[in-house]
Amino acid sequence: MIQLKNLFKWYNVGGTRSFVLKDVSLDIAEGDFISIMGPSGSGKSTLLNIIGMLDEPDEGQYIFMGENVLEMKAKKRTQLYQSHIGYVFQAYHLLDELTVYENIETPLIYKDISSKERKAIVADMLDRFGIVGKKDLFPAQLSGGQQQIVGIARALAGSPKLLLADEPTGNLNSKQGEEIMDLFKQLNDDGVTIIQVTHSEKNAEYGKRVVNMLDGQLK
Amino acid sequence: MIGNNLKIAWRNMAKNKLYSFIKIGGFAFSIAICILIVLYIKHETSYNKFYPDMDRIYRLVIQLPIENKTERWVSLSAPVAPTLKAEIPSIEQTGRILPNPLFGAGSNQLSLNNSPDSHYDDGFVYVDQSILDMFPMPMVSGQLSHALDKPNTLVITRSKAEKYFKNDPIGQTIYLNNNKSKAYTITGVIEDMPNNSTLAGYSFFMSLAGEPFYQGEQTAWLNNNYTVYVKLKPNVSIALAEKEISKNYLEIHYLPEYLKSGRKLNPLFKQAKITLQNALDMHLKSADISDDKVSTLNRGDIRMVWTFATVALFILFIACINFINLSTANAATRAKEIGIRKTIGSSRKLLVGQFLVEAICYSVLSLIIGLFLSWLLLPVFNHLANKSLTIPWIAAYFFPSLLAAILVIGLLAGIYPALYLSKFKPITALKNNVIGSKSSLFRNSLVVFQFATSIILIVGALVTNKQINYILDKDLGFDKEQVIVLRGISTLSKQLPSLKNELKSLPNVTSVSMGDFLPVPIDGAKRNGNPFWVDGRKDFDMATQGQFWEIDQDYLNTFGLHLNKGRNFDPTRATDSSSAIINQKLADELHLKNPIGAKITNGNTWTVIGVVDDFIFESLKDKGYTGLCMTLQGNPSLLSIKVKPQHLKETLADITAVWDKFAPNQQINYSFLDEGFESLYQDVERTKNIFTCFALVAIFVAALGLFGLATYVTQQRTKEIGVRKVLGASAIRLLRLLSGDFIKLVFVALVIATPVAWWAMNQWLTDFNYRIEINWLYFILAGMSAILIALGTISYQTWKAIRANPVDSLRDE
Repeated sequence: MIQLKNLFKWYNVGGTRSFVLKDVSLDIAEGDFISIMGPSGSGKSTLLNIIGMLDEPDEGQYIFMGENVLEMKAKKRTQLYQSHIGYVFQAYHLLDELTVYENIETPLIYKDISSKERKAIVADMLDRFGIVGKKDLFPAQLSGGQQQIVGIARALAGSPKLLLADEPTGNLNSKQGEEIMDLFKQLNDDGVTIIQVTHSEKNAEYGKRVVNMLDGQLK
Repeated sequence: MIGNNLKIAWRNMAKNKLYSFIKIGGFAFSIAICILIVLYIKHETSYNKFYPDMDRIYRLVIQLPIENKTERWVSLSAPVAPTLKAEIPSIEQTGRILPNPLFGAGSNQLSLNNSPDSHYDDGFVYVDQSILDMFPMPMVSGQLSHALDKPNTLVITRSKAEKYFKNDPIGQTIYLNNNKSKAYTITGVIEDMPNNSTLAGYSFFMSLAGEPFYQGEQTAWLNNNYTVYVKLKPNVSIALAEKEISKNYLEIHYLPEYLKSGRKLNPLFKQAKITLQNALDMHLKSADISDDKVSTLNRGDIRMVWTFATVALFILFIACINFINLSTANAATRAKEIGIRKTIGSSRKLLVGQFLVEAICYSVLSLIIGLFLSWLLLPVFNHLANKSLTIPWIAAYFFPSLLAAILVIGLLAGIYPALYLSKFKPITALKNNVIGSKSSLFRNSLVVFQFATSIILIVGALVTNKQINYILDKDLGFDKEQVIVLRGISTLSKQLPSLKNELKSLPNVTSVSMGDFLPVPIDGAKRNGNPFWVDGRKDFDMATQGQFWEIDQDYLNTFGLHLNKGRNFDPTRATDSSSAIINQKLADELHLKNPIGAKITNGNTWTVIGVVDDFIFESLKDKGYTGLCMTLQGNPSLLSIKVKPQHLKETLADITAVWDKFAPNQQINYSFLDEGFESLYQDVERTKNIFTCFALVAIFVAALGLFGLATYVTQQRTKEIGVRKVLGASAIRLLRLLSGDFIKLVFVALVIATPVAWWAMNQWLTDFNYRIEINWLYFILAGMSAILIALGTISYQTWKAIRANPVDSLRDE
């Protein structure tokens, strides 16, 4: 599904290059569940963002489902992104002005899905994650765990093949965290490819494979 | 998608109430001002447009280069119109208007049929039938086409007809000033003159047909009292017509007549020519025509229209700037949303769309509120601009053009923030790192622009204020205080001397003078123009132009004129019927070394018995005074009473009682001379008020914008302030640091505004012969007030930033 070849990313600081990613190559198959681990500043998030097409490497190649992402036009990339990738954040990043229902619906609007279909999909999501009763609440009215569930529901609304999660349980207590990880496990069993960045050994164990990073390099 | 965008826009507005309020408030206010100004401009440019064939109707304007200026005037003699029509084939029709109060136009006492009651009314004017043909109005009754063909006929407007007559007024007679020897028959009633007509303000159109006003008047080429209109035949070249008319008038008629009268020709006259002013240009392009104000009651000025239009554009521009500043100022709070939206699949295009929809939402709301505000402000504006505008709710163009305006404004104000905000990279946006450059040239120049505009308008307000005060306080050389002017006394004719005596004997009355030539050119006061020579020099010297006034022996006393040589009139001396008192100016211009006893002539010969100091009896916009010769005679309609300042109420009651005894059928009609003087400068007063209002609006809207910018900058610098505080900076030091940048901007604005304001106000002041000098203090004052307002505006934000706990701002991540 994903092939990363010799990725480099750096910043120029006072004339010298400071590498965030240094010659990273990684293959990810469809249906995989990968946990990227490593200390702060090791480049985990940057790698995840590049995979998620939110960031670009300075050098290297990125093939997503047979297509060269870095040579794609922005429009095509947005399309590819919209139809295949879902993102979950540590800080949930829900839109504060929108209700739970509307938050889940928004990516579908961006995908130009008809209103009728959107209703069906959002209803399905609300049902699946057991948040039907909360659909008209605003994010501020939810607990952290609930917010993250909405975040996941939103990420999955577009039925992506790839789910990217940047420390999805980082802001949650352990019980909430476990629930989220169970959810991930189940999604993976349903066929969703998952890549998560985490600090937690325990969470990493939910995955099929662990990738360790240090100073911008895979170990 | 749109529905969703609207929802988001609404929730964002509701969430940031203060911002939304400032954005919408500033916008609405500017839109309201713009709506009013557009209505004003539409009205000003609509004059005479509703009449047919306006492309062929022209007013004759004489122009003559004097010194380095081209003087223009419109008064011509009686025979010009019929002669041109008879002698120039390309002219289809000519018509005359005679607006001069010397002949009975202006205001009069009016009585109906045989009723003894006498009513004061104004709007009287003499016209040819052809004027009504060229500027036709729908008839209420009667027939327009030949209404004024016969002598002593009269066409009145609907509202006057309703005021004086219960049933059809056609065939009824009216008398003016109790002159029973001349009955005017009403032959037609027309609709009221629309206020965008050249004839607006006139309501009694008296026929010019028939008897001349005095022997030879209708054939006198040298007495200029008429305004002449011509209607050219279709497809006639204007340049050619102008040439023909100039040649006919000047070479064939005027100059030969002039020479025949034995007067010496001023060589300048050879450069005179007649130009044709199109009827559509008359309202706005006649400000420099000195006698236009005599024939036009409702004058416009193209410069005013430009000033208004510029101000409208500037204010709208300032409001757009505010919107941009406030929107980008809010960027930090919007950044997270933008980041999220991008990560869940929004393209930049969609985001731009969303922000534009939001901007248009703001402009729609602002427009609705602005429309409401303009409706509220309309009476104030009408008062300021001396107009009676209405909002054309039902006009077909009204709502579509508003709609177009909303879109344009929304897009104009929304496009920059939309592009700016949608540019954020999702990852940086989510990390809240979008701060932008610290000193954005774009944003700063916007602020400079706003403040420069405000400063220009403040200087404008200051200068106009000073000028009007200067005019009103100017020493005129006579005393205009505590003089009460009674109008319409001519109806009393033979009783006048006893009226005067009785008024004089009232306890608080100091002096009473009868005469129409008041030193202040108020309604009813007369003016003229006469050539003067030293007696016997008529064939040798160029004439000196001056006024020839008819006064009585109490005139000097009543108005406090100072006699510097000779004596006052004494009616008991038989010789005083041919005596004259002149002003110093006439004495100087006639080179009279020993004026007392000198003989001067204006056709009749007068012996000078006294010389008064010069006093200002014309508008201070013009020269103020010319040569003046006053003689003892007259058949006046005005009476001036100088009273003591105390017990004014009782004095007025006494005067009214005396009046009622003499004229039981005529209501007393009086006014105060000093108020009349002030009303002469109403247009200046209006300009002052308009400048003041514009300045206030501009500074208000600019302050709103600065508030937004201050928010933005302090947000940007929170961290810096935190660090400085931890390092021990005092509050005062921080205040100085934060305010310094803004004050610099205001200084730049001041530097830019100063030459512009100086130039513009000097232009304005050239309208006045008596004017103030622009003082550099005005600029300092304007700059200071701009700085103070700027400081006041930003203090809230800076104070908040300074007071904030540094721990909070330094804790990020």
